[in-house]
Amino acid sequence: MTRGAPQPGNADEMATPFLVARDVAKAFGGTQALKGVSLDIAPGEIHGLVGANGAGKSTFIRILAGLNHPDAGRLELDGHSQEIGTPQRATELGMSFIHQELAFVPGMTVLQNIMLGVPKKTRFGLTDWRAIARDVTPIARRVGISAPLNAGVKGLSTAEIWLINICRALVRKARLIVMDEPTASLAASEAERLFAIVRDLSASGVAVLYISHRLDEILSLCTRVSVFRDGRSVAELAGDALNRPALVEAIVGGAIRDTQRTGATRQRGDVVMEAKTLARAPNVRGVSLQLHAGEVLGIGGLVGAGRTELARLLFGADRPDSGEMTLMGRPYAPASPAAAVRAGLGLVPEERRAEALFLSKSIAFNLGIANLDKIAFGRYLPLMNRSARTSMAGETIRSLSIKARSASTPVGRLSGGNQQKVAIGRWLQRTPKVLILDEPTRGVDIGARAEIHRLIRQQAESGMAVLVISSEPDELPDLCDRVLVMAEGRIVRELTGQAVSRKAIVEASYVEPEALMEDHPA
Amino acid sequence: MSDVAISARRLSPGAKAALGIFARYGTIIGLLAMVVTFSILSPAAFPTLGNFTNVLNQASLAMIIAGGLTLAVVVGELDLSIGFAASLHGILITGLVVHDKLPIPLAVVIVIALGAVIGLVNGFIVTKVKVNSVIATLGVGTILTGLAFAYSAGVPIVAGVPEAFLQLSLGRWLFGIPNNIIAMIVVLGGLWLLVERTPLGQEIQAVGGNAVAARLAGVNVDRIKILGFVISGMCAALTGILLASRLGSGTASAADSYLLTAFAAVFLGSATLRDGEFHVLGTLVGALIIAFGFNGLNIFGAPTFSQYVLQGAILIIAVGMASLGRSLAER
Repeated sequence: MTRGAPQPGNADEMATPFLVARDVAKAFGGTQALKGVSLDIAPGEIHGLVGANGAGKSTFIRILAGLNHPDAGRLELDGHSQEIGTPQRATELGMSFIHQELAFVPGMTVLQNIMLGVPKKTRFGLTDWRAIARDVTPIARRVGISAPLNAGVKGLSTAEIWLINICRALVRKARLIVMDEPTASLAASEAERLFAIVRDLSASGVAVLYISHRLDEILSLCTRVSVFRDGRSVAELAGDALNRPALVEAIVGGAIRDTQRTGATRQRGDVVMEAKTLARAPNVRGVSLQLHAGEVLGIGGLVGAGRTELARLLFGADRPDSGEMTLMGRPYAPASPAAAVRAGLGLVPEERRAEALFLSKSIAFNLGIANLDKIAFGRYLPLMNRSARTSMAGETIRSLSIKARSASTPVGRLSGGNQQKVAIGRWLQRTPKVLILDEPTRGVDIGARAEIHRLIRQQAESGMAVLVISSEPDELPDLCDRVLVMAEGRIVRELTGQAVSRKAIVEASYVEPEALMEDHPA
Repeated sequence: MSDVAISARRLSPGAKAALGIFARYGTIIGLLAMVVTFSILSPAAFPTLGNFTNVLNQASLAMIIAGGLTLAVVVGELDLSIGFAASLHGILITGLVVHDKLPIPLAVVIVIALGAVIGLVNGFIVTKVKVNSVIATLGVGTILTGLAFAYSAGVPIVAGVPEAFLQLSLGRWLFGIPNNIIAMIVVLGGLWLLVERTPLGQEIQAVGGNAVAARLAGVNVDRIKILGFVISGMCAALTGILLASRLGSGTASAADSYLLTAFAAVFLGSATLRDGEFHVLGTLVGALIIAFGFNGLNIFGAPTFSQYVLQGAILIIAVGMASLGRSLAER
């Protein structure tokens, strides 16, 4: 614990923090999600909050938002002890929350979205939108909403929706805005704009609690950073003590070091899978690639470049408009994911909770569902061999070091990293020829990320062909032998060996695809 | 989360545990409490082997059709055609036996096959034509009602029903246990085995739990949904057959009310043991609650209307308590 470490900034601010949390604890069922966290936030401070998945960040935020009630501990706002109780009360107390999944209604205008859930001025009993627009316009201008207030939000970018959420917080006169992974789905230039707004908010006295896995952002924005680990606040770093190694150390607890780039050292085998001018409107516009046994092939590019859509074509989740594929030299045109699985593919989809997992079901169920042929007694006795399923699950839990009480624990209770391991582990029992992983470490803590990377490399070394899609800047250079960069539905560059670097991937991502079509080997 | 849940804050861990237990075991506790209460109030009439057998015998048809419906809701769809289908099946089997003089086993096979076909049609409309299952099965059910009236010309088939046909439901072919009960045990036991203990059952549960994830895990979602409808249709056929045998006649709309009873049983069941998930065992418990509730009221001579009031009230209270209990226990 380094609570009470030297504080930066101005002594007045520190004297009267806006928010003080002391030894806040919360259990769900038998799981102690928060064992005791403390932090305080001064007015106008940009306070970072980091921690592995399952460290208790989400629970803490839910308590601040009045969605959960702490079992123990104390919360003070403006020096007064408060029981927040309900989301309405949290708003009254001056707190606003911008979650990863942004709150907005697609059918409404910008102004209506800004005023969502905010008490509105009325005239003769009717909502006085004119007066409201007059009040909101300066605030909208200040955060840089460029769309007219009476325009629909349909078609606005994620960044603009984010600005609408900020604007809503300001209209409610928020004094603390909690931002959960704000840059997760933003492009780099949009993120820069967001940082400028955060600094502007801070300068005007609005405090920000900034939660992110991206340590560079935390380091450049925050004056103080609290680190949660295993439901406790284990460190508060500021000033000289606030640097990347110290943060990593505090998050991981000294257990796991940064991974080394080991790409380009594996022996790559024959071509396992090939795609020729694969297309499906509007996102995939003629992609050709070869995937070799024993390699980790990365697909880089911006969000919306068509990478996920390409993975879905390869896996039979969508049918291509044109183009063809081969698998082990034979024509391959899967009519469904089931056909792709039979042919020897596995897909770990982008959204693990929505697309991969059965949250209320056990780990054993989630692993078994892709291996039903292995847990049947046999063709003539169509009963499930439950002990085979349990032992298969136990084996996977051990070999992937999934942290869970037993194979019967519901997957919904696991942390993000452990959930992801279940989504991956499902396929490993089948030893697929091709494993496709879409954003394998999104929202996963550093420790689990390193373990998942090690796992992916192991599979490639054992001869599997692995395709990894990632938007995490450092992930592909860390992991891949070869990287294809996609932009606007096409592959615009191939990077191999030492040419694979974060810089090269980012550069290629922003290049006009037409300019590079000739360079790319067909 | 409801406002009621929000206002009831700060529960002690003990209270939370109790609520969690109530959410899962509330229906079973309620069933036992009801049986005990009726037994105390009416020791001579209620807690007798004869009465219990009678209740089970009466309830078996509803349990069979509810068991089938469970499969449709487990795969995430609704089947509103079952009551209407069962009515048609009842008329049809009577007609096949009385007018066409078909051997009873053959008639049974034909009618159950027709039940499967109706399920197939429902499943096809829902999965391939992509019509919402409420609309699709309501439409199919309405058509079936029309067919039932067409087949019977609106007149019940009463005369000339052979004794052997009546024995289908009135007989006690095994150890003196009524055939209806045997059929119910075989069907529900079979469905429980299918859902809980077979690889196919894992796919069924997966489709109901998260259809997108099931598809990406290699499950053929459409095929499983169609299977759910087919099983639901076959169970409706069996209920229709046994009802016609019990009534000794084929009457259009005789089985229509089974739709409501089946839904009540299935949703009561979803509040049993598991958190809001549909399952065969739960449906059994739900059907028992309704059956014993009706029987108890009958014994006390309560008017018919009160039985419907009771059925509706129990359903809302049980499902409501379970969902409130869960949300409070989570806080």
